[in-house]
Amino acid sequence: MPQSPNISSSHKYSVILPTYNERKNLPIIVWLLARVFNQHALAWEIIIVDDASPDGTQEVARQLQRVYGEDKVILKPRAGKLGLGTAYMHGLNFCEGDFVIIMDADFSHHPKFIPQFIRLQQTHNLDIVTGTRYRNGSKPYSATAQPGGVHGWDLKRKLVSRGANFLADTVLSPGVSDLTGSFRLYRVHVLKHIITVTQSRGYVFQMEMMVRAKAMGYTVGEIPITFVDRLFGESKLGASEVVSYAKGVWALFISV
Amino acid sequence: MTQAQRFAAAVFFLGTIYILTYLSIIPVPLLDDDKKNEILPVIPWWLLVSFGSYSLWSLGWGLLTFRDCPEAYQELLSEITTAKNELRMQGVSVDS
Repeated sequence: MPQSPNISSSHKYSVILPTYNERKNLPIIVWLLARVFNQHALAWEIIIVDDASPDGTQEVARQLQRVYGEDKVILKPRAGKLGLGTAYMHGLNFCEGDFVIIMDADFSHHPKFIPQFIRLQQTHNLDIVTGTRYRNGSKPYSATAQPGGVHGWDLKRKLVSRGANFLADTVLSPGVSDLTGSFRLYRVHVLKHIITVTQSRGYVFQMEMMVRAKAMGYTVGEIPITFVDRLFGESKLGASEVVSYAKGVWALFISV
Repeated sequence: MTQAQRFAAAVFFLGTIYILTYLSIIPVPLLDDDKKNEILPVIPWWLLVSFGSYSLWSLGWGLLTFRDCPEAYQELLSEITTAKNELRMQGVSVDS
C-alpha cells in the first residue's frame, strides 16, 4: 500500500456516487471511503444518486445509513435512469462540502488515492485534481505518488486506449494525460460552473468537463492511480463506442 | 477562439506562406531557386510522413510502457473480504 501523506484539513469533502444496480459494490465502496476519510480525520459525506435500481441498491444504502449515520451517507434517489451529468447536478444540490470527489462505484477507482489528491490540491492550491492511469509520477511533482497503471486490459484494449488518448492529445491538447478518466477532485464552485456549460452526454461528458476546465483557466493537477477494470467479468469495448468517441473528440474540437 | 478556429487560422497562415513561396511570389531568403524548387514541393509529404512516424512511435512506446498492476488487484480482493466481514457483522447485506 503506498504511503499515505499526513493531511489535516478544515474542509469538508463530498463524494457523489451515481449508482445503478450497485447492490454488491456499494457497501464496500462506502466502507473503503469511510476508512480512508476516518484515517485522515477528514470531514466527509457520500451522496448516493441512485437511478431507481431494481436490484435493491437503495435498500443497501439505507442499511449503510444506519451504520455510518444519515449525515454521512446521504441517499438522493431519482425516478429513472437519467444519465451521469444530471446525476452530478442532482448530487451537487445537496452537497455540503467545499470539495467534491467524483468516482465510479465499481472498484475501478480506489479511495486510497483520495488523500494524495487532497494533498496535491492543498500544496499547489489547485482547482481540480484528476487521477491518471498513464503517468508514473504526479504533475506537479509530489514525493508520495506511486506509478499509475491498469489491471485487466489485454493488448488490444491497451492499444485502443493509447490510440484514443493520442487522438485526443493531438486534436485537443488538453494538458492532461488521461482525458477520459473520471476519478477527480473539484472545488465545489468550479464543478458547478463547468457542469452548467457542459453539453455532451456519456463519457464524452467527462472529457468535455476537463477540456472546458482548461479553457476557462482552472488549474489542474494529476495523481497517478491504479485502475482495476471490471473486477468481475470482461471489459467490453465495441466499434460503436470507438465511433462515438471520435465523434465526441470532433465535437469538442469545434466547440471549445 | 475554439480549438478548430485556432487550427484553421494556423493552417491558413502557413498555407499562404507556402503557396506564395512555391509560386515564387515571395522569395525564400537563403536558398537559390533550383534548390528551393526541389525542396518546397515535397514539404507536405514530408509533414505527412513525419506525423505518421511520430504517431506510430508514440503508440508503440505507449504500449510498451503501459503498466499493469496485479498488486492493486490482489490488494483490492483482500480489502473486499475484510469489508464484507465487518459489514456483515453490522447488519449490512453483503451476500446476495
